[in-house]
Amino acid sequence: MTDIVLDTPSKPAKPSPLTRLIGRVPPIRKWKWGFVLSVAYLVVLTFFAVFANVLPFIRRYNELPKGAAARKLASYRGKPSGSYWFGNDKLGRDTFARSVYAAQKTLTIGLASIVAALVIGGLLGMLAGYYRGWYDRVLSVIFDVLLAFPAIVLALIVVGRFFQSGRLNLGLFQMDKRFFGVIVVLTLLSVAPLARIVRAQTLALSQREYVLAARGLGASSWRILIREILPNLLPAMFSVAFTGLAVLLVAEGGLAFLGFSVQLPFPTWGFMINEARPDIVKGGGWAVFFPCILLFLTVLAFNVIGDRVARRFDIREATL
Amino acid sequence: MTSAMHRPQDGTLLELRDVRTHFSTARGIVRAVDGVSFTLERGKALGIVGESGSGKTILARSIMGLLPKRGTIRQGEVLYAGDDLAKLDLKGMRKFWGQEMSMIFQDPMTSLNPLMKIGNQIGEPLRVHLGMDKENARATALKLLQDVKIPEPEKRLDQYPHELSGGMRQRAMIAIALACGPTLLFADEPTTALDVTVQAQILDLIQEQRRDRNMSVILVTHDLGVVAGHTDEIAVMYAGTLAEKATTAELFANMKHPYTEALLRSIPKLDQPSHTRLMAIGGRPPDLITPPTGCRFAPRCPYATEKCRTEIPVLESISAEHSFACWNPVGSSHWQSKQDELASNAGLASAGGQA
Repeated sequence: MTDIVLDTPSKPAKPSPLTRLIGRVPPIRKWKWGFVLSVAYLVVLTFFAVFANVLPFIRRYNELPKGAAARKLASYRGKPSGSYWFGNDKLGRDTFARSVYAAQKTLTIGLASIVAALVIGGLLGMLAGYYRGWYDRVLSVIFDVLLAFPAIVLALIVVGRFFQSGRLNLGLFQMDKRFFGVIVVLTLLSVAPLARIVRAQTLALSQREYVLAARGLGASSWRILIREILPNLLPAMFSVAFTGLAVLLVAEGGLAFLGFSVQLPFPTWGFMINEARPDIVKGGGWAVFFPCILLFLTVLAFNVIGDRVARRFDIREATL
Repeated sequence: MTSAMHRPQDGTLLELRDVRTHFSTARGIVRAVDGVSFTLERGKALGIVGESGSGKTILARSIMGLLPKRGTIRQGEVLYAGDDLAKLDLKGMRKFWGQEMSMIFQDPMTSLNPLMKIGNQIGEPLRVHLGMDKENARATALKLLQDVKIPEPEKRLDQYPHELSGGMRQRAMIAIALACGPTLLFADEPTTALDVTVQAQILDLIQEQRRDRNMSVILVTHDLGVVAGHTDEIAVMYAGTLAEKATTAELFANMKHPYTEALLRSIPKLDQPSHTRLMAIGGRPPDLITPPTGCRFAPRCPYATEKCRTEIPVLESISAEHSFACWNPVGSSHWQSKQDELASNAGLASAGGQA
């Protein structure tokens, strides 16, 4: 009558919460070095970004050199040196400090946009995929329009018209208007692709038998969405979020390059690249080179991690 | 469990009156279920048998109201203990789902949520419908897992579906369906995805739970062997209509509909010599958008007459426990003469083959 039990009796040790979250850590020879290095890089970068306002050598991001150092600027080449690791720009400011400080701004913009897009796009996509009908049709048209809308024009309208300058007062939150505007633009740009992916996944998931089974057990639509569909959507959403974040960082760079991003004195990588661009011919290429490298590495790291997340969860899905 | 106490022990639980379920598609209206009527007593097991596309699954889902709203046209009455379920909306149905009726699905690989622990999946309906707290639901889930005879039930509570074998998953699925103590259990091909040894165990388990809980069971299957030992009554469906309905013993002893006869004949028998050609039913089920005008089985029926092709046979009772819809049933004079003809043809064919 009973099934044959092949596995050994249950193990006594219960896995710790950390183990349950990230899974068992494999032995070093099986490590995926691309993934490990990406995580390590992002941890270091995040550390600097979080403490940028406290660390003394980064706080000087906006300081102009004085005295003897200023006089040396006459022969400005901006080369890396002992006191300026990444060199300095044409005003003599420390490129290293500026690059790291820019990481704070760039990462905040990217993260805020992708989180907002995940919440909005995820919700709309889920509702469209689950309820279908006229609701789906209306949303799909909106997504199509958003996808076809020229990003630059959108940025022009949002940043140029509504968030030109000044400070935004949201009670507890005080924020530079330009900063907020960039987040709005990037969110608007990433809602549509995310919502589409979530909608397609929801369409597929709501046809699964366990969703029908849950309904047959009397679960409400809300409960089905939250308990049955959402958890199964999360892996796909996360892997898209990581690659999406990488795209957003580049997009922010593009906006900054065109002058639609955060205003002075806050640097972002794109802004720094744009700022030092005319100096390349004059030998000031270092101030372009380092923000480029950081942007490149960060995008690469997010892509590698996103890829890894996608693969990990695909495998789990395949074994089911 | 209090509701079980107040339950009447016998009497009619379910009555279907001319139930029709049609789907409007781009090609036309699909008459998936077209005028089905029957009654089911409390505590009894009914088998619904038919080939793929005969509408048996759609019939089960029509009774339960588990069909997509869009494009579905429903007619007829589904009387469940006096309430007409066909008239209820989603909100009204939710009171019946889980507590009064629940369903076991064909494939236990896909009917469990891959990201929820077994214990939570069983506990969820308990907490939603019966308002149990977390510990209570867990204890009841454990009890249910013991009821469905899963080995090491305590361990299973905290496992995910992918950690269980197919048979164990189907047991877990049964535990979920039984959680709120339903009066009517649908089992939609519950053993199709399982291997033969596990099939018998699962069917015995459903049978056992039916007796213990005085549930009615509707067992949907394409396998006559499955229903033979596990049901009180059998309804044979063909192309969306009932071909024959009888108590299990009566049907196997005294089948009347040529389709039932053909189904039984197509089962390979152990006493046949090896390499005997299987008796398949020629042709294929009719297109349900434009079904045949007369008897729907007529195009495939060896005994079909002109009348069969033009007039739809009605479901007639020959006794309280047996009814069928056929103009030339098994045992009739026309059937007998055709049988003789077929037999002599077969004799000629084999004689010719040997010459």
